[in-house]
Amino acid sequence: MEEGMFEQRTDLSRLSSAVEQIKTSLAQIIVGQQESIDLLIAGILADGHILIEGVPGVAKTLTAKLLARSIDVQYSRIQFTPDLMPSDILGTPVFNPKVTEFEFKRGPIFGNIILIDEINRAPAKTQSALFEVMEERQVTIDGNTYKMAEPFMVLATQNPVEHEGTYRLPEAQLDRFLFKVEIKYPSLDDEIAIITRQHQHKTTDQLQEIKPILSGQDIIALRKQVLGLHVEDKLIVYIARLINESRNNKSLYLGGSPRASLAIVQAAKAMAAIRGRDFVTPDDIVYVAAPVLRHRIMLTPDKEMEGVSPDDVVMQMIQKIEVPR
Amino acid sequence: MIRRLLVVVLALTLSVAAAGKGAAVKKSQPVKTHPIKKAPLHLYKDTSNIQVRHFDQNAINRFKKDPKFNYNDSEGAGEPSFLEKLWMWILYILFGWMKNAHFNGTWLGVLLTLLKYLIYAAALAFLVFVIVKAFGIDPINLLRGNSKRIDIPYSEAIEDINAIDFDDELEKALAQNNYRLAVRLLYLRSLKQLSDLQLIHWQIDKTNSTYVNELADPSQKQVFSLITRQFEYVWYGNFSIDKDAFVNISRLFQDFKQQLP
Repeated sequence: MEEGMFEQRTDLSRLSSAVEQIKTSLAQIIVGQQESIDLLIAGILADGHILIEGVPGVAKTLTAKLLARSIDVQYSRIQFTPDLMPSDILGTPVFNPKVTEFEFKRGPIFGNIILIDEINRAPAKTQSALFEVMEERQVTIDGNTYKMAEPFMVLATQNPVEHEGTYRLPEAQLDRFLFKVEIKYPSLDDEIAIITRQHQHKTTDQLQEIKPILSGQDIIALRKQVLGLHVEDKLIVYIARLINESRNNKSLYLGGSPRASLAIVQAAKAMAAIRGRDFVTPDDIVYVAAPVLRHRIMLTPDKEMEGVSPDDVVMQMIQKIEVPR
Repeated sequence: MIRRLLVVVLALTLSVAAAGKGAAVKKSQPVKTHPIKKAPLHLYKDTSNIQVRHFDQNAINRFKKDPKFNYNDSEGAGEPSFLEKLWMWILYILFGWMKNAHFNGTWLGVLLTLLKYLIYAAALAFLVFVIVKAFGIDPINLLRGNSKRIDIPYSEAIEDINAIDFDDELEKALAQNNYRLAVRLLYLRSLKQLSDLQLIHWQIDKTNSTYVNELADPSQKQVFSLITRQFEYVWYGNFSIDKDAFVNISRLFQDFKQQLP
């Protein structure tokens, strides 16, 4: 009786069912990584781009591919390399001799879910090609603007920046990613499960086992639902105080931007929806704070040398702010 | 022919040797360039009127006092000032082991002079820092041009749960039919009870789920989880609540209280 004392104002049954199906579907192939998968789904619902970071061999690309497959939309993949040019991503005008005119040949960025593999292997010039499309969902070439189809989402993978042959992504671009999801090494039990499952697997193409669960229109509808979830004013103040603290924190050279504040609100809404609520609680905000902020904030050189991680600083910031209650 | 040649060479050798000897002799003797005049036999007395001039003593004293005319560093410099004494003391501490060395005019001397002024500048900066701090101004922000950090107004700031008179506040809230506030007060009182019993460790940054997870007793955890959910729906979800709903919720809080030791 008590459980049903309050009825949700938003019908989240379709969303909850889709989330469960996606999780179950991914769990057929991916072992563990529950938090990463939750964040990836939250990213889709929050209409954000996601950066997945991890050392080689932890199934970053596989996870992104599986997630893309679970949604029935146009999917394209771009492998970033040091010699990639902006026109290789966006497209380029090509002369058509039949009509004696230049025609715009669309690049691989024109799709719904774009998997950019090893994004930090391309230099800053190539990265800058993504600025407009990631923020404004459009490409402008030769004075013509081409709108992206909805839904549009960039899923990028990268190795940690300390690895050979990688570049640090520009801050402006990092700020355009809603989350940076860090995929760690599996636990011992998960490692055993991975080996056993792979050893016993009969088919070689695991991707064929993943069937689309949501259509592009479903995603658009679910995003509208998430957008309409309730956030109390006191929680908005809580988020603003958190971001404000990042700008005054002595361990940080660069704090969170207003885009980071908006990202926390949107991500917290998505998290609340995944948890079956049509309103946000401080738990949702705390949960998404590190994935939203870890790639946007920059540590001071002395803190970097001390081995402090951005997540440590985010936790310190959270500890300083009173939870509204 | 050869004999003649030998004679010529011998003659040349002898003449060169003689010339060298003559030059050496010349060097040792004073060179007489003018003929020596003989002294007069009679001395003439100078009877012209000599006017004796004296230095102006005042001017001498004035020049003596002027440090520009003091060419001797060690003498007549007067009593060193406090800063000079301080500098000499620092020099003694730093370079006492080479006190007999003279650095004037050397690169080390220039370096020491530079160091002296750097220390003066640092001392001055420290003094300014202390004064600015004494006035309550953040000098770092002053240099960066940042405005002073302003606390965001927080109408519903966290209250100290140990300072709230819950019975009184609940009575007021219920009198105003403010059931939302009443649920909040009930929840805060539950947190205080748990904190007093040391079942949870109260901290401002902890979320409700953290407190739920801190409870070790499964039955307490279950009921507290339930009342936490009701509180969140009312407080964060902005769900409307009437008297009947409040009665139901307050019953849950009473049940929870009975579970506590």
